[in-house]
Amino acid sequence: MKINVFGNNISALVCAGCLAGTGNQVTLVGHRNNERSEPGLTKLLDTQEDAERLTISKTFDIEAEYQIISFDPEQCEEGKRIAKILSKGNNPKRCIIIRSNFTMGSVKEIERLSQIPCVINPDFASDGRAIQDFMRPDRIIIGSRNDETLKQFKRLFAPFNRNRNVMIEMSPESAELTKYATNAMLATRISLMNELALAAESLGADIEEVRQGIGSDNRIGASYLYAGIGFGGTHFAKDLCRIHKIINPSDSKEGLLEAVIRINEQQKEALFRKVWRHFDCHIENKIITLWGISYKPNSNSIEGAPSLALIKAFLNQGATVQVFDPMLDANFMIWMRENLSLEQQKRLILSGEMYDATHNADALCVVTEWQPFLSPDLDKLKQNMNTLLILDGRNLYDKQWIQENQFTYYGIGR
Amino acid sequence: MIHTQAYAALTSLSESLKPIHLKTLFENDSDRFTQCHLQMEGLLFDFSKQKVTQAVIDRLLELANEQQLKAWIEKLFNGNKINHTESRAAWHTALRDIENPRPEVAQQWHKMESLVNRVHQKQLRGYSGKPIVNIVNIGVGGSDLGPLMMTHALDKDKHPYAPDIHFVSTLDARQLHKVLDRLDPATTLFVVASKSFTTIDTLSLAETAKEWLQEYAPSHQAVMNHFIGISTDAQKMSDWGILPDYQLLFWDWVGGRFSLWSTIGFSIALKLGMQGYNEMLTGAHAMDQHFKNTPFEQNIPVLLGLIGVWNTNFLKLSAQAILPYDSRLKYFASYLEQLEMESNGKHTRRDGTPVTYRTCPILWGEVGPNAQHAFYQLLHQGTERVMSDFILFKKGISDSKRAIFHQNLNIANCLAQSRAMMIGEDNQNLHKHYPGDQVSNTLLLEQLDAHHLGMLVALYEHKVFVQSVIWEINAFDQWGVELGKKLALDILNHIENQSTDHLDSSTANILKHIWEQRNEN
Repeated sequence: MKINVFGNNISALVCAGCLAGTGNQVTLVGHRNNERSEPGLTKLLDTQEDAERLTISKTFDIEAEYQIISFDPEQCEEGKRIAKILSKGNNPKRCIIIRSNFTMGSVKEIERLSQIPCVINPDFASDGRAIQDFMRPDRIIIGSRNDETLKQFKRLFAPFNRNRNVMIEMSPESAELTKYATNAMLATRISLMNELALAAESLGADIEEVRQGIGSDNRIGASYLYAGIGFGGTHFAKDLCRIHKIINPSDSKEGLLEAVIRINEQQKEALFRKVWRHFDCHIENKIITLWGISYKPNSNSIEGAPSLALIKAFLNQGATVQVFDPMLDANFMIWMRENLSLEQQKRLILSGEMYDATHNADALCVVTEWQPFLSPDLDKLKQNMNTLLILDGRNLYDKQWIQENQFTYYGIGR
Repeated sequence: MIHTQAYAALTSLSESLKPIHLKTLFENDSDRFTQCHLQMEGLLFDFSKQKVTQAVIDRLLELANEQQLKAWIEKLFNGNKINHTESRAAWHTALRDIENPRPEVAQQWHKMESLVNRVHQKQLRGYSGKPIVNIVNIGVGGSDLGPLMMTHALDKDKHPYAPDIHFVSTLDARQLHKVLDRLDPATTLFVVASKSFTTIDTLSLAETAKEWLQEYAPSHQAVMNHFIGISTDAQKMSDWGILPDYQLLFWDWVGGRFSLWSTIGFSIALKLGMQGYNEMLTGAHAMDQHFKNTPFEQNIPVLLGLIGVWNTNFLKLSAQAILPYDSRLKYFASYLEQLEMESNGKHTRRDGTPVTYRTCPILWGEVGPNAQHAFYQLLHQGTERVMSDFILFKKGISDSKRAIFHQNLNIANCLAQSRAMMIGEDNQNLHKHYPGDQVSNTLLLEQLDAHHLGMLVALYEHKVFVQSVIWEINAFDQWGVELGKKLALDILNHIENQSTDHLDSSTANILKHIWEQRNEN
């Protein structure tokens, strides 16, 4: 089957690669710049290009049967532009599959402009496991009102629906809302856990024990119950803002999601607050080490990462910050230049090795749960650090073990 | 009387003008406005509804010359110690000399800017590490009225990251407790503004605020992260515990009621951002330049001041109403009450002799459309002869149809009231008779923003100065407020000792009644 995939993001690249992998003739209308951070993606795309099932091109066949729009949420106008171009084609067997998170109602507009039936198929894959999630999805949500188009979509996605039927059909509006609602639900769970973590701290409880207690309840389930220093990433926060805008004018004015977002933003500074209180509101000239910059491990993505909020907060109080991250790259340098003064940049020291970053440190903040941070060499830390203080932003460590080694330990909610 | 030739001439002119109704002046000259208005960029001053003729204006200008106004203006701008009873300059114009700032002024702007940015960027932290999002300005008089008036008036121009700002001034602490009830101590910053840093009103409230924070914050250092001090006395601020980075300075050559242009304007800068604060200074500076450089016959503050003198000393009018036709200027009249009455409400000349003529009139006011339903009755039909200043802005809320309608309604009411006061209306039924003949100025400005409000406040400051020169008084001291402070300390002492020895019978018996009540409870 002949397919065009429009877009440059991970979602577009994964979709193009996987569909080429099942024998389709795919044109990726975009470019390959973004695949580095997604495990396996470079190999997948190389393989499919070599087999000549995948072409990267600026031009495309407007008569192709499947036109898959996979732009970033803010590229809605680009989607509409493509729709107008497609309206000039004649092949009656075409359909448009929209995998982008455009604002609610954009689908109708694309359908009107293109005069081609549309299917909404939101992408639920999470960064770092996008290929796996595409090939073996938990569920495939299909929003459509056109039976023919539905059949056509199912044909294309049949190879990914073999183990058991995970396709769920619904109206396009429901499909759009499902995507948003999923992220809203997950975010709400996290923010609630962070609120409970505060309560745990003041009551002397341990949120990790509480998490296991409530996670074992079948009605609740164990996932997304981790208290921590807030979620980052591009999609999560943006989707939340969007759904908040949808909910607010519709009826409820109670601002639940507003609170979810606010709690998350506050949570990003949680380790700063602990350091600040530990040193009685005076951290000028202290040296603070951060392990981890990206908002999650195995990724170079820093958008909305708690580390950025922490770096700003520490620098603004006159501290020096020493950081280590295994995948630190140009986007962090750009962030530094755009967000920090020259004087502040001088107090931000990038280390190429995790223990180097702890020399003379007055506090070690563990921000991202990268593998190498999981079992730290405490003897080395003792030698290096000026003050034996560990702040565990992801509750990775056995609190007792750290304390037995003469460190002061702060986790989240314990 | 003031011993000048012009004063005598004006006295005789006033005798001939008094019986002439204001409307007659308009009937005799259909183009009276042309002769009786002045303009500068952004501001029009219409004094055609004053009972003046060209001869009056000429004599008033002579009076100004005879009283050496030009030389006094130079002394003001040069920073001479014209506040001679306290041996200080009154150099508020130097605070807004944005073209040529004094180094110490620029240094404080810089410090202020850094603190403002830290608040806006949510990087100024309280004891818990959470960013400060609420400001409580503790100050009284000049440390309260200017920032309160400005921040209220310019709320729509506030910086997108401006914190919530609350003002607390009264020593009964009720305002303070009302504010504290609503605030989170972790995110609240107190700005303690006091020129001397000894004012009991301010310091007692600051002490209460400190105690409130001590209940929550873990240490003294943590508490002190919640206080910014603004004063001329760094040592006093340090003694009270204000951290060096949190001290903003101004100088003894800044009078309290002229201090909103100094670091006392910190709350204004928090509200508007430094850019907005600078626009306010720029507006005031434009008025300074006009006042300093414009010939007196074209000089708006000079004419505004002289006409006030004419009304007070020659037409014997007894009060001055301030009537802004914009609800955002809710606190403007109270601001001017201090500026005018604390400056010129005096009975002793610079040379120490008593005056033999009236000085500052009683000044009061209210937002025009509200005042229309309150005290305008007295202006239209009462027995008091009063002068009024109508203040109007050209621009309304927006360009929407409803907004234009409301602005037209507002303009129509302002112009109708000044006309009604001028022209009056005859009626056989005395209950419906309006004598008219009440004089007024109209100040028309482009729009209410930081620049134009800066101009307007500076205009009144210079008007006050002009009048003080004519009246030969020092506008910049305020000895009148000292006696009450002294007696309050004495009475507080009596209260604490439950003694009424040597008190007058009124004070003593009121105290006894209060104590009786307390004992019953």
